[in-house]
Amino acid sequence: MRERYLYHVALLCIQRAVPQRVNRFMLTLLGTLTLGLTGCAGDLSILDPAGQAARDVVLIWWIMLTFATVVLIGVVALWLYTFKRKYQERTPQEERKIARRWIIGGGILLPVLSVTALLIFGVPTGKRMLPLPLSQPPEVIEVIGHQWWWEVRYPGAEGGEVITANQLIMPAGEPVDFHVTSADVIHSFWIPRLGGKIDMLPGRTNVIRLEADAPGVFGGQCAEFCGTQHANMEFYVEAVEREAYDAWLAERQEERLAERALANDDFAQARDEFASTCANCHSVAGLSASTIGPDLSDIGARYTLGAGTLPMEEGAIHYWLENHQTLKPSNKMPSHNYMDTATLESLGAWLETLTP
Amino acid sequence: MTTIDRDASGPEDLQKLHNDLAEVWANPAGLKALTIVNHTTLGLRFMVTGMAFFLIGGILAMLIRTQIATPDQGFLTPEIYSQVTTMHGTVMMFLFAIPILEGLAIYMIPKMIGARDLVCPRLTALGYWCYLFGGIILSFSMVLEMAPDSGWFMYTPLSSSEYSPGLGSDFWLLGITFVEISALSAGVELVVSILRTRTQGMALNKMPLFAWYILAMALMIVVGFPPLILGSILLELERAVGMPFFDIAGGGDPVLWQHLFWLFGHPEVYIIFLPAAGIVSTLIPVFAGRPIVGYGWVVFAITVMGFISFGLWVHHMFTVGIPQLAQAFFSAASMLVAIPTGIQIFAWLATLWLGKPKMKLPMLWIVGFLVIFVCGGLTGVMLALVPFNWQVHDTHFVVAHMHYVLVGGMLFPLMAGLYYWLPLFSGRMPSETIGKWGFWLVFIGFNATFLIMHWTGLLGMPRRVYTYDTGLGWDIFNLLSSIGGFVMSAGFAMVLIDIALHFRYGKPAKTNPWNADTLEWANKLPPTPYNFVSLPTIETRHPLWEHPELPQEMEEGKHGLASADHGRREMWGTDPLTGKVREIIHVPSNSWWPLFAAMALAIVCISLLLRWYPLAGLGAAVAVVFLLRWSWENGVHPKAAPNANVTPGDPPLHSRTMDGPGVWAMTTAMIANGSFFLSYLFGWFYLWTISPEWRMPETSPLSLIALVIAGGALMGGAALMEKSVRGLRKQQERGLAFNFYGAALLGGIQFALILWVMVRANLAVTETSHDAILMVGLYYALLHSALGAVLSLLQGLRVGYRYVGLHAPFEPVVVAYFWRYNVVVFWILVVALAVLPRVIGG
Repeated sequence: MRERYLYHVALLCIQRAVPQRVNRFMLTLLGTLTLGLTGCAGDLSILDPAGQAARDVVLIWWIMLTFATVVLIGVVALWLYTFKRKYQERTPQEERKIARRWIIGGGILLPVLSVTALLIFGVPTGKRMLPLPLSQPPEVIEVIGHQWWWEVRYPGAEGGEVITANQLIMPAGEPVDFHVTSADVIHSFWIPRLGGKIDMLPGRTNVIRLEADAPGVFGGQCAEFCGTQHANMEFYVEAVEREAYDAWLAERQEERLAERALANDDFAQARDEFASTCANCHSVAGLSASTIGPDLSDIGARYTLGAGTLPMEEGAIHYWLENHQTLKPSNKMPSHNYMDTATLESLGAWLETLTP
Repeated sequence: MTTIDRDASGPEDLQKLHNDLAEVWANPAGLKALTIVNHTTLGLRFMVTGMAFFLIGGILAMLIRTQIATPDQGFLTPEIYSQVTTMHGTVMMFLFAIPILEGLAIYMIPKMIGARDLVCPRLTALGYWCYLFGGIILSFSMVLEMAPDSGWFMYTPLSSSEYSPGLGSDFWLLGITFVEISALSAGVELVVSILRTRTQGMALNKMPLFAWYILAMALMIVVGFPPLILGSILLELERAVGMPFFDIAGGGDPVLWQHLFWLFGHPEVYIIFLPAAGIVSTLIPVFAGRPIVGYGWVVFAITVMGFISFGLWVHHMFTVGIPQLAQAFFSAASMLVAIPTGIQIFAWLATLWLGKPKMKLPMLWIVGFLVIFVCGGLTGVMLALVPFNWQVHDTHFVVAHMHYVLVGGMLFPLMAGLYYWLPLFSGRMPSETIGKWGFWLVFIGFNATFLIMHWTGLLGMPRRVYTYDTGLGWDIFNLLSSIGGFVMSAGFAMVLIDIALHFRYGKPAKTNPWNADTLEWANKLPPTPYNFVSLPTIETRHPLWEHPELPQEMEEGKHGLASADHGRREMWGTDPLTGKVREIIHVPSNSWWPLFAAMALAIVCISLLLRWYPLAGLGAAVAVVFLLRWSWENGVHPKAAPNANVTPGDPPLHSRTMDGPGVWAMTTAMIANGSFFLSYLFGWFYLWTISPEWRMPETSPLSLIALVIAGGALMGGAALMEKSVRGLRKQQERGLAFNFYGAALLGGIQFALILWVMVRANLAVTETSHDAILMVGLYYALLHSALGAVLSLLQGLRVGYRYVGLHAPFEPVVVAYFWRYNVVVFWILVVALAVLPRVIGG
């Protein structure tokens, strides 16, 4: 019992005291150094963490890098030195002694000690990232991978489940459990700045817990090769304060969205066009409920089109509708070449208004 | 016994001996060159073919680097890019790395252990043709723009017929399985050759380290490849017939594919690394001018590595959602590999430390290997740490890591070995200048490409993306990586030019040009097909250092087996541990059967691809006939060794004993078969316990009684086989043919019973994974009982022809081994498939 207790205390020391000091030091030193030189930043950069899990990993990375560099340089230098040093005659006994020193010291002790240190340090870090039960159950967001887009569901929304696509909003400063699965092939859910990835497998649900330190926008993407358009399977995640998050969900209640979709009479024709063609695959609250393609009920409020293929701006939807098979070849939406420009334009204009 | 006293008495006799050997071992020219089975020729064919595939794989790599050199590029369409990345990995792993190393082992092992050929030369040839045809079929898919495109590890469901409807995945599954026949056959015969054909006195602890490495590699191939073969067969069955092994809706599980793939895939990394490390362990002592330090340590490290590598596969699957405890176990196990690796690296260091190392061209590549491989090993330890793995898995960091391990751990030693053994291949020395240019270009280009790529990965770039947006910070690093890639290609081009030029302009090599210690340098440069005029007795690990006169003596026929007027291709069959001579092994000479059998198998492969099943069945039948005819021309058969005369004092021919290499080959083959069987059991229990939608019927559809009776028949047959073997041991021949026919009959009964169980079970193989996997097990049993029956029937016939009997008791022992295997496996199968479901229930 006592040993166990001491072990935990020691672990806590390493976990708490050392990392934070080293962390701050390493991150400021190496971080600024490399950031300044080459740029660690970027929407998808592991090296620019915005959550505890990602930060733990970056810290481990810098420590491992330092250590590995020392080992690499040491071993290579020793090897090269043997070509330079003078040959000495030695008795077989001396030779055996030297040989044993190198093999046991370098071949056994060095790896055993390094690996032990790494495990003592790394295993608890990994454990901290696990979605273990919490006293207050975390927010749950369901993400379903499709070739090549993301279906997102918020089962915890107060007024009822909210369904959207290719965008994620999460409360900042609190842990969030992402329940992920796939509707077709294997995908992998990854927000590099918040933490590790988890595979999305058909028939199974995997859970990953992530937390954003503060409000912000982070990139995410599919990390498991899932076919031709794997490259264009991205998303953005926006972390906001809890109140904003609740408000965002409230705005997306089906009846509110439906109201919005049906409100503007200028687009009655576009709505009809949508109902007769697009509605076979897409749903817009109040108009259709098909789940083959992404839900479009709030498409006007998204950052990108085609899961990260095209930035959202005025006219972008129309552009996308005309060119999506060249922008994202082989995507599952049939080409709309048979429709005239005016129709596509009005469809695009109408869809752009779909924002809560 | 034969040692130095067997003196060819005069120059005429010596000339006659050389002529006899040249005639018996002659390699025909023209069309008949296709019948060559000699290991020297086939080893070179393997290596040259491997280099050709290396160039193809290299061009694919350049296409990849061109496409992602800058963001938003339209150089390749996404479809073609997926094909290119998939084929780059596939070609490099399956058609370059493994075959070229096998080729090197096939070429080098007999020469290093003082033998004249590998122990199953026709199998070498079959392996080569399967490799060549499989490689061509697979590559041809690129010409058709139908290449596999689901990534080189073919994760299902992406590779399933639903998401990859074309022929791409079929090309991969069938082509690779075809190529793997070659890996397995090389694996089996290398094991047996190393264990049974070392020259007199070469005890296990006097064997060159390279042979230890190859022994480990070969055993790992034998155990490691079958899981992938099983996986490929299951996936192809799912695609072609609709048996839902990996389909959730049908009760299958796509993760099973990942397990089967990485059960093979991880050992594969060490299958590639070990021979390369063997090259390092061979070259370092030579260039340090002293024996390796810590021979025992290195052998220990090789063994440990071989074992540990089978317990690491899950570290490729840390993001799949495997239970935490398993992740922790596999994480720690993966890091443990650092120990055997560390032992080797520091044993090499100690050798250099205590020796007088010289920086010749081959050593330059060895130092390059060290820098790159240690770096790759260190990132490997990082990747084994689960939380870090969750971040960088499937990013360019992993791509960089694995190229460091594979290029550093395999290609650099291979280049070192190539330069080192060049005088053996061509009789000429490599140039030091162009070679150095080549090295530095490759070394700098490699690091420019892949060191930087680690960083790209850390900035979040996933692998296998055909395009990326600007502004993510990746642009400059990708461009630099691409430039590095082209520098590396220029380096390889220079190496190739250097080697091509050296065939014409290289200085002729003198005997043992690097002053090496191992027997391959006792060969003529370039070697004769029979390697050695006489086979030496070895008392030390460093024969050429301690007996520099040995090559001369061997050339003068002063050592063992210095005669060939009997017309047989002969070498020693020695004790696996002590290297004491036990018998003379005679190996078959040139033959069309390997080529014909491989052609028939190629037809099977192509017709399965095109779903012409009648033709596939016909091809398979023809292949079986060819293979049986091949096995017929053995032992006492007029085309093999009809008379058994040996020089007085020499041991008997192996075919006249009960102890020949065939028993060992059968045992090794059954290890492979057993690995296949265990993978199958793994699949069965995995689906049963883990698959989310598994459906097990209330009552087992298999008739237990019929299976038990079938097992009884099988045991009866096996008992008859054992009885004949015991009889032969006691010098009794009575009832031999009767016993064989009896065993064949009982095998036939077993076959009929299994068939009956199969039909009666009325399995809905396309509906549920339960029925599908059950069917595979029944087919496995069916195939084995048929094979046992046919082999025994042939033995009965051979007794009639007087090919088998007291004078030639060898073959029944081998066949009896197969029956033994059958009995064990069949009962396990009955318990797993028919008894356990009854006991535990669905």
